[in-house]
Amino acid sequence: MVRLYTDDLSIGYGERLIVNELSVQIPDQKITTIIGPNGCGKSTLLKAITRIISHQSGSVILDGQNVAKENTKQLAKKMAILPQTPESASGLTVGELVSYGRFPYQTGFGRLTKKDYEVVEWALEVTGTKDFKYHPVAALSGGQRQRVWIAMALAQETEIIFLDEPTTYLDMAHQLEVLELLQKLNREEKRTIVMVLHDLNQAARFADYIVALKAGQIVKAGNCEEVITQEVLQDVFNINAEIGTDPRTNKPMCITYNLLRGE
Amino acid sequence: MIQTELIRKQRIILVILFVLLLATVIISAGVGYSTLSFDRLIPTLLGNGTFKEEFVLFSVRLPRIIITILAGMALALSGAILQGITRNDLADPGIIGINSGAGVAISLFFLYFPIQPGSFVYLLPFVAFIGALLTAFFIYIMAYNRKVGLQPVRLVLVGVGFSMALSGLMIVLISSAERQKVDFIAKWIAGNIWGADWPFILALLPWLIVLIPFTFYKANKLNLLGLSEPVAVGVGVSIEKERIVLLLAAVALAASAVSVTGGIAFIGLMAPHIAKSLVGPRHQLFLPVAILIGGWLLLFADTIGRNVVEPNGIPAGVMVSLLGAPYFMYLLLKK
Repeated sequence: MVRLYTDDLSIGYGERLIVNELSVQIPDQKITTIIGPNGCGKSTLLKAITRIISHQSGSVILDGQNVAKENTKQLAKKMAILPQTPESASGLTVGELVSYGRFPYQTGFGRLTKKDYEVVEWALEVTGTKDFKYHPVAALSGGQRQRVWIAMALAQETEIIFLDEPTTYLDMAHQLEVLELLQKLNREEKRTIVMVLHDLNQAARFADYIVALKAGQIVKAGNCEEVITQEVLQDVFNINAEIGTDPRTNKPMCITYNLLRGE
Repeated sequence: MIQTELIRKQRIILVILFVLLLATVIISAGVGYSTLSFDRLIPTLLGNGTFKEEFVLFSVRLPRIIITILAGMALALSGAILQGITRNDLADPGIIGINSGAGVAISLFFLYFPIQPGSFVYLLPFVAFIGALLTAFFIYIMAYNRKVGLQPVRLVLVGVGFSMALSGLMIVLISSAERQKVDFIAKWIAGNIWGADWPFILALLPWLIVLIPFTFYKANKLNLLGLSEPVAVGVGVSIEKERIVLLLAAVALAASAVSVTGGIAFIGLMAPHIAKSLVGPRHQLFLPVAILIGGWLLLFADTIGRNVVEPNGIPAGVMVSLLGAPYFMYLLLKK
């Protein structure tokens, strides 16, 4: 059963539609990756699904409920979002920032309960940020900071986690670290993960399901063997790609590519 | 998830501020145009003073001290809320025009309605609130974009414009008024604490008793609104609703304060900013510090202003601006 899907979703400003009547199903307990060229509407789609921006028509359905009409705090217990490069949390310590993820469970004056403390500790633990608990977020490196923001999303204890380009600004090792953390959460805790990625090979390696977007519409959606093909990449990115197999993971990978011109 | 050290630091700062405030209260009670020496303060307080001493303490200085502290606290809290919801450290009820809105309403009320001394006092915060609310409403809709919601930077810019326009309007109002009333309004604009009497304290106090706990109740939401919009939405804050409710609270706090003290700016800018640099940006921690700093700053400014030029002194609003304007410049340059 699919818990989350969009139905003829159109998103845009005024006359200009960025996403046009898009219907996509997000497989449960899988890692879904959205790929596509700059400006194709992948971030926009993610923001509309997570009600950060409103949509013009169509609907986003989670557990049979229209997301736009549901109580936003209740929704925050079901899905968490890590926006693209959040502004730095000036002056906050890591522990403080992560504890903000407990907001959906707080009532009254918002004192943290024992359970809140436990969840925050756990989120710091799995993201490997426990050592920085009392450090100011601003003093961390890009990779550490990104893990802290992921910890905040984890502290929300949601079954679905959205991430908008979680690997931007990170070096190769840190990129892999973040993606492996997400994979672990998916495998061990059955969290549904939906993310926008720029790197095709990372998408192929970590995603169970890939959605390829172009100009606000789906070109192809399916597993990586179905999406990372010469035809799809030509259509989506206008490139001539050489597709091989990753000798370590046996996943398809784009070995090299050329731009297609004059067509 | 707060460091115990940070909490201890906050406690120590609160104690220091409290002592500082108390010391300033004592000095403020002991100096002034009329003589009431320091060694007579306690006997007078205990009811053993002469008639003159009692009059000076209980009817002149004490009410003024209390009203000044309360107003400073309200302005600091108002500024802290505005800075939280606009994510802009330059937001202050004076700078973004809320005070001027209250001022215009008070001027109109003062000029065109017959004054009945009794009920007049209690009506003032309401009149100021209505004026400030209308101003905030217009600033809000002009800074609101249907597609992206409220634009925090625009809110400050529009507010500065409103502040200028409304100050101009007050001058226009003055130019058509009688001499005696002009005096009052001119003093109001300068931020001369004119409502220094017990009824004014009773008119101001209820607003603080309700709105200080209310703001603490909203502290977590303010924390999240101060981060970034997507993050706040993501954890389930209904941002538009919270912004409007908090804006109303900020308007009410500022309006009730300036209705008795006159146009005082910069307290709402400085107090939260100093507090944040001392204990960090968590509202639960810095709000109490900001409130105490606000009360102390205004009392400090008024005590100096009252005593540098005899007999009338410099209005507290002018004194605060002398301190606040360079601070504002410093903040602007730092950005």
